[in-house]
Amino acid sequence: MSAHQSARSRFWSRFLRNRVSLVGGGYLVVLVLVAAGARFLTPHDPNVATRFQDFLFPPFGEYLLGTDLVGRDIFTRLLYGARYALFAGAEAVLIALVVGVPLGLVIGYFRGWVDRIVMRFVETVVAVPAVVMAMAIIAAVGTGLTTAMFAIGVVYSMIITRLTRAEVFAAREELYVDGARAAGATDRRIMWKHILPNIAPPLIVQTTLLFAQAVLAEAALSFLGIGASAHQASWGRMLRDAQDSIDQSFWPAVPPGIAVFLTVIAFNVFGDGLRDAFAREARGGRVGVGDVEAVDPGSDPVPPSDDALLTIRNLSVRFPRPGETEDVSVVSGVDLDIGRGEVMALVGESGSGKSITAMSIMGLVPDPGLASAASIGLDGRELVGLDFDELRRIRGHEIGVIFQEPSAALNPAYTVGRQVAEPLEVHLGMGRRQARARVVELMELVGIPDPGRRIDAYPHQFSGGMAQRVVIAMALACEPKLLIADEPTTALDVTVQGQILDLVGDLSRDLGVSVLLITHDLGVVADLADRVAVMYAGEIVETGRLTEVFADPQHPYTEGLIRAIPRNEARSGELPTIPGVVPPPWEWPDHCHFADRCAHAGDACRVGPVPLQTVGASSVRCIRAGEVVLRGVRAHGGAAS
Amino acid sequence: MSRLLAAIPLMFLTGTLVFFLIQFNPVDPAAALLGEDASLASIAEKRAELGLDRSLLVQYGDWLTDVVRFDLGTDWFTGESVLTMFGDRAPVTLTLVFGALAIALVSGVGLGILAALKAGRLPDRIVTVVSSFGMAIPNFWAAILLAYFLSVQVRWFPAIWSNTRTETIGGWLHSLVLPCIALGLSAAAAIARQSRSSMIAVLQKDYIRTALAKGLPVRRVIRRHALRNAAIPIVSLAGFQTSALIGGAIFVESVFNVPGLGSLGVDAVLRKNTPIILAFVMVTTFVVVMVNIVLDLAYAWLNPKVRPG
Repeated sequence: MSAHQSARSRFWSRFLRNRVSLVGGGYLVVLVLVAAGARFLTPHDPNVATRFQDFLFPPFGEYLLGTDLVGRDIFTRLLYGARYALFAGAEAVLIALVVGVPLGLVIGYFRGWVDRIVMRFVETVVAVPAVVMAMAIIAAVGTGLTTAMFAIGVVYSMIITRLTRAEVFAAREELYVDGARAAGATDRRIMWKHILPNIAPPLIVQTTLLFAQAVLAEAALSFLGIGASAHQASWGRMLRDAQDSIDQSFWPAVPPGIAVFLTVIAFNVFGDGLRDAFAREARGGRVGVGDVEAVDPGSDPVPPSDDALLTIRNLSVRFPRPGETEDVSVVSGVDLDIGRGEVMALVGESGSGKSITAMSIMGLVPDPGLASAASIGLDGRELVGLDFDELRRIRGHEIGVIFQEPSAALNPAYTVGRQVAEPLEVHLGMGRRQARARVVELMELVGIPDPGRRIDAYPHQFSGGMAQRVVIAMALACEPKLLIADEPTTALDVTVQGQILDLVGDLSRDLGVSVLLITHDLGVVADLADRVAVMYAGEIVETGRLTEVFADPQHPYTEGLIRAIPRNEARSGELPTIPGVVPPPWEWPDHCHFADRCAHAGDACRVGPVPLQTVGASSVRCIRAGEVVLRGVRAHGGAAS
Repeated sequence: MSRLLAAIPLMFLTGTLVFFLIQFNPVDPAAALLGEDASLASIAEKRAELGLDRSLLVQYGDWLTDVVRFDLGTDWFTGESVLTMFGDRAPVTLTLVFGALAIALVSGVGLGILAALKAGRLPDRIVTVVSSFGMAIPNFWAAILLAYFLSVQVRWFPAIWSNTRTETIGGWLHSLVLPCIALGLSAAAAIARQSRSSMIAVLQKDYIRTALAKGLPVRRVIRRHALRNAAIPIVSLAGFQTSALIGGAIFVESVFNVPGLGSLGVDAVLRKNTPIILAFVMVTTFVVVMVNIVLDLAYAWLNPKVRPG
């Protein structure tokens, strides 16, 4: 009950924050009041000429909005017009709801032959353009405002039926329906008490938008002369009269048109506001962003080692927070070196900033993130300060990337061959034919059977494991120096995970490519990595050779990751050995980020920032390093050369 | 081809539905035809002439066999062949509808994509506001405003639809501009909104990140990888909008004196001219069905997942 209430209050607070919708709602309230009190707001009669021969008077004189071709006061007719608009809209929408909602509920709930027959009928009606269908119905029931809006209502009821049915289809699979059925509720009760409240939001939104359409339809049909009669001061009728006198005066066409326009906008923005309050739309961001900004190297920079392919110094990524003046850091002060031909594992739970770190190497921090670094060196070349287009020549060319979800990483609209060929065409300037031959080679290299035929298949025709092989082929197409593998096996079936990891390991050895392997699972890296960097809450907390880190972890978080290895198949998002999850970035403290989840933390851990210090061959960010006894495991070999 | 065949039962059902629907009207068309002074005998004679004295099912059977032979009957009032009347007028309406659709697609998709790429910034806000205005303007009012300001006031465009028999091709095209804009406005607005939201959704997809990680230029990422996928919901909307444009054409035609199907239809509704109403429904439905078949093909081309085989 309280959850329900808070959802409701969140709905209202979101809706009330939407100023445009509030203005729309306010306009509609005023419109209702005007319609109700039209008689008290004007001395004139909407259908009787004001005075003999006062026709087509200009506005803002004796009559506020002038008079029309037979001398009726336009302002008065406008006020009364609100009545017709609201009544007409209400009639159409009510008919649509009264017919459409029960019909949609019943056919959506029971399905079977009832559904097939009704839907055949609905599709038949909907196939005819709505206005034409309404005209056919008007031909049957006669002209006039009430009958015209009845016709519009009948056409709209088909739309409501379809929508209700589709929503019921989706809702029927929900647990609450099963629950209600198990509790012995009747079908009728389930439909009206359980399903209807749950599918109400889209219906409410659609009703509001249909009301706007009905106001438009009223005006249009009255304009043609098959809606409101000459004695009914509807806005559409006013426009028809204005059209008759348009050669003498244009003015009478203005006020009713604006009235229709504003009323329709009011209903539309009101409906949009409701929709947004029910479910917020994804907001867009810029495409291709994140030039890395240069910053000071920090206090005492570690000198890059000579054999390093990639050296990162003091990399940080910030995101602006909506409603806050201060940015929030999701990655701070990361230093990382990867040697030539080396496999470096970057390990941590989700939310620790691993992927963002990897993406910022290529200048692909998602908008509106801001990356900064003292230096990102790739094979002796400084990447910091390069613009988007200069970085573009490195992406896919010198750095290849494998993503987590292969089926999502491939574009469903193109054959895999064309997608693998793209970097070849863009970076190496290959022609179609040459690229195609190379793609077949690459597909063979990554172990896709029958590449000559599979090259023309679409991504949805591949299994997850095969799709990931395609992505690997794409990443390796231009023989990059560095391969970034971002959780390459997480989305795959357990049985193929090992195959993909073996493939990455073999390829890195055979091609001499360095690998940055990102994973939350230390078990994945045990056979593959030479070195490990453990990341927690935006910081590197421990880094060293894999064998040493496994055998003798220095950071309590590393120990937790190691102890989690055997049970990691079931990814629950929580480590079995460390309670809780990574807190959101804005809750990260100034002192040790891990202190709140650490079994060994003391008061000293909560004083200030903890620097990375060297302990033996590893670096560790823990003031109690060496002091507490942590248990490791023997790594099964590793790829250490 | 199978889609074309599937359209036939739909047309049959629509025609049947409307045929029986119109019978609800209590007005006797024979009496209406002959005027108030007609004697009962002459009304009965007229009824026999129109075939209205026979049972409903016989009338229905007659109508059906005629339709199968592409005979849409004759106008009850003038005796003209309905097929000839529609042959004259349908191309006019279709020109208007497809002209409006072309304007709506080009401007709507263009503006929608611009808004999506500049999401949250000024161009986006402008497009959002303009499109919500466009959806709220009644098309016949837009037609009145355009006709008044752009043809009566500044005389840039003719206020009346012309034809190629009396005008040069250029003059004829010139006279199409305003009606097509007036009609296409709301469709353009709806398409712009749809394009914006589907483009924004597509730009969040993983494969866009992949394309960027491959080092493709942004233009290529948008043109090749985003646009094609974003077009899928736009194609669905275009089918719905075509249907709306055919309905909307009736109103715009009345402002610009376009000799299309609109005035014919309105007149038929007012006088219960059954053969015209039936043909009106059948012909417009046929156009909508044909457009949807073309769009289905486009849909399958865009989306390999729904392609057979």
